[in-house]
Amino acid sequence: MRTKRVFAGLVFACLGVWAQQGHPLTGTWNGDWGATVTQRNQVTIVMNWDGKNVTGIINPGPDSAPLASVYVDPTNWTVRFEADAKDASGKPVHIAAEGHLADIGSYHRTLVGSWTQGAVKGDFKLTRD
Amino acid sequence: MLRLGISLTLATAMVFAQASISGTYETGRQVKLRGAVTRIDWVNPRAYIFINVKDAAGTVANWALEIGNPLDLERDSWKASTVRIGDVITVEGVPARDSARRALATSVVLTRTGAKIFVPAGKISAARPVSQPAPRWPDGHVRLGPAPGKKGYWGAASASTLVETGAVVPMNRDGLLVNLADADKVAPFQPWAKAVYEYRQRTLLKDDPYSRCLPPGGPRQFQTPNGFQFIEQPELGRILVLLGGGDRNWRVIYTDGRPQGQGDDLVLTYYGTSVGHWEKDTLVVESVGFNERFWMSSGGLPHTEALHLTERFSRPDLNTLKYEVTVNDPRTYTRPWNGGWTIQWVADQEIQEYFCEENAEATFVR
Repeated sequence: MRTKRVFAGLVFACLGVWAQQGHPLTGTWNGDWGATVTQRNQVTIVMNWDGKNVTGIINPGPDSAPLASVYVDPTNWTVRFEADAKDASGKPVHIAAEGHLADIGSYHRTLVGSWTQGAVKGDFKLTRD
Repeated sequence: MLRLGISLTLATAMVFAQASISGTYETGRQVKLRGAVTRIDWVNPRAYIFINVKDAAGTVANWALEIGNPLDLERDSWKASTVRIGDVITVEGVPARDSARRALATSVVLTRTGAKIFVPAGKISAARPVSQPAPRWPDGHVRLGPAPGKKGYWGAASASTLVETGAVVPMNRDGLLVNLADADKVAPFQPWAKAVYEYRQRTLLKDDPYSRCLPPGGPRQFQTPNGFQFIEQPELGRILVLLGGGDRNWRVIYTDGRPQGQGDDLVLTYYGTSVGHWEKDTLVVESVGFNERFWMSSGGLPHTEALHLTERFSRPDLNTLKYEVTVNDPRTYTRPWNGGWTIQWVADQEIQEYFCEENAEATFVR
């Protein structure tokens, strides 16, 4: 087990070689959100900094939803974003999330916080891919 | 399994290969060591001596002691043979931050003679060559390389990091600010870029891609300790920049009049895509197409794929290259801004062979 952990650490250290060094939000983020620890929904967000705003989409593909707004406070790396998606039955549902961007120098930086989708409130954790 | 572990260890060790002094060593602490020399690595840009040090309990540990750049040492008349395997030396130095058995030597004394070794000769290094006119091509263009039959390359830069022209910002040779509140003077950052820059400063540049042996793209390529040279090929319509640092990479500047690549057509790279032309005795180079995987200067200046550099190279005399750069990245900075420095000609020498990974393997895989 200890050997596995050591190797995992080394692999992550090596992956850091190719880190993206531009705007900390730019890139693809993978993770999940949910109301409980066991009820989780996979989510992928692709974000890009255009010089004035962060733009992006949630779950790229047939069920994608554009990010309607993204707010970033670089003094504490608080991030808020909203989107209008569709639920499993095709009904419109509003998404609002607020999180904190941690370890911005790392390739696998994280974005963790609260996620509200329609009437459901939960938490989320995203890791830059 | 074992081979996998070794290869991963080697790759990870590269993390420290070109690390900054501030990031590598804990400058507020001192160690004093005494032991017999077991190995000498006269490797550019950092030479090391290894010694076996015995502690009070009699346990022997092997220490790596960084003693400086071998080119500088040789100019001061020191050689790898100044010490021999088995010689006992006493070393004072600054220990590594990562608690490895590694230190930056500030004093080395050969026990058998009591002589201090590897100390700068001062006057020898400080002597500047007599200024002469810059060499020229038959058509009158200034040459950026040596005159026919001569050799030489561009060495030490007058500044260790890029700051906006006219700014007075105290910092160390790694680009670490003496006062973090001076960040605003360095460049006209957008808020996010200033926050990133300050983060990199506060974390002592630990995430610097250059310290992981990645190429020094942008202006940084003209500030590495290993130097560079121009290979001008007017018949091919291009100028090659051969870099001593960053694993001896090269960069191509096309001077055949081709248009600059545009937007999505470009494959983003560390050195971008460059086209140049001469304005009298100044080579003007426009570069775009940079990826976001490097820091364009020591100290942690950020940029995005929108980076556009305009570089101006001129040679007012044989020994001086003037480098001026305009940084235009509207996604990172609030306006275009200028910086620059001069670079010293190293006459009658070639760039020393240096490979970042080799330096890492020789020194840190222990």
